Amino acid sequence: METKRLRYEFDIKRNITVILGDSATGKTTMVELLSAYGRFGENGGIKLESDVPCVVFAATGEKWQSFFVDVEDSIVFIDEDHPFVFGEEFARYACSCSHYFVIITRRPLFNLPYSIDEVYGIKTTGRYHFPEKVYHEFYHIYDNALPNTVNNKYTFLLEDSGSGLDFYRNAFGDSICRSAGGNSGIAKVLSELDTEVVVIADGAAFGAYMDGLLSVAENKTNVILYLPESFEWLILKSGIIMGENLDRILAHPEEYIDSKEYFSWERYFTSLLMHITENDPVRRYSKVKLLPFYSTGKNREAIIAAMPEPIRRLYTKD
Amino acid sequence: MLKIVFGENEKALYGPVWFQYNYEITWFHDELVQKMIESVDKSRYIDGEYIESEVLGPISPLNLSGGLKTLISIYENPELVFDATSCGGNCAKWLIEMGKDKDITINLKYIMRFRDHQPFEIFIVNENRYVRTNEEYVDLAIKYI
Repeated sequence: METKRLRYEFDIKRNITVILGDSATGKTTMVELLSAYGRFGENGGIKLESDVPCVVFAATGEKWQSFFVDVEDSIVFIDEDHPFVFGEEFARYACSCSHYFVIITRRPLFNLPYSIDEVYGIKTTGRYHFPEKVYHEFYHIYDNALPNTVNNKYTFLLEDSGSGLDFYRNAFGDSICRSAGGNSGIAKVLSELDTEVVVIADGAAFGAYMDGLLSVAENKTNVILYLPESFEWLILKSGIIMGENLDRILAHPEEYIDSKEYFSWERYFTSLLMHITENDPVRRYSKVKLLPFYSTGKNREAIIAAMPEPIRRLYTKD
Repeated sequence: MLKIVFGENEKALYGPVWFQYNYEITWFHDELVQKMIESVDKSRYIDGEYIESEVLGPISPLNLSGGLKTLISIYENPELVFDATSCGGNCAKWLIEMGKDKDITINLKYIMRFRDHQPFEIFIVNENRYVRTNEEYVDLAIKYI
């Protein structure tokens, strides 16, 4: 989108994109420009190039559903202070429709499973405005060098309670792995731990919880945060499973994932892994219980090898 | 003193809109308001309702950012409670600064970072207690956000 003074350029990859960050970076100006374009088109001095229609949400909060009646397969921009976006009803709608949403909000959207990779601030260089990722897959907050192997002071804090937890218990030791019982418990449990901690959660659905987790982690020392897409994505990335076009899918998931069918990429990668392994009793993947194929020997090592180096260093071979 | 109410607060005012219909030109004569305009919006107050923006050129107060509109509204109306969720992290130091001179109460629905502005003294209304370190502040913030 372009005017004489301003230019905005975005790639929208997933069904939920969140824009936050400092004041005065041009978030509201972007929405105002889109809104003016919607009303006046290029006659308003604004150029827009997009693969799909871009619309700005405009309706009173209580009647938000009526806005979407005439909108199809669009990128819908929603400026801050529309309280309906935090509700369960909107979450249900967003999960079942074919729109992509760009939501401007600093307040976390706890009802929506959005990715840490699709949370952006707007960076400005002259007239150019472009998205800048706010969060990363890996953080290492430390004051001293980490030990080379896991010691009994270490805790692995996991969002997962099924196969992922099984895997880490097998690989790093039963007693040091602890489930937070879901995304919402992680920041609080981390704040209460006085050990060194490795936090592992599915980045694909952790966007709303990231700010709380980082706020707590920044007050600590020797904390590792690792947020891969999901445990299933990690398995697929490790190379122990072969599948048609798998490398291409992992490199460009947005080309393969239908947001109407899979609201979160985590669900897609789980489904893909289950589909590839469904006819093989040795490799058949389940989210509930992990087969020895994944949790032992060379395959376990291959999955560990797909993790960042500071976590790999904490692993000791049998 | 800066006082914070975390979480949902239906009575908190929405600064970006409230400012549009309630600002007064005399507010811009205040030195702190002019500093905030320079710091947050990278703009300069010239005179009357004329502000010079680095990006947009000449603008009026109506074109200031939502965060700055809220900050100015808080500073000029300390008896009112504004939702400072529309203020980004670059507004945090100004909230601390205002709290040194005036009693202001804000509502927050996200964890605004005050880590780089220690030492501070903030009163958390939900808990009826003061926090003086970032650790104390975050421990209470995650209970409500």
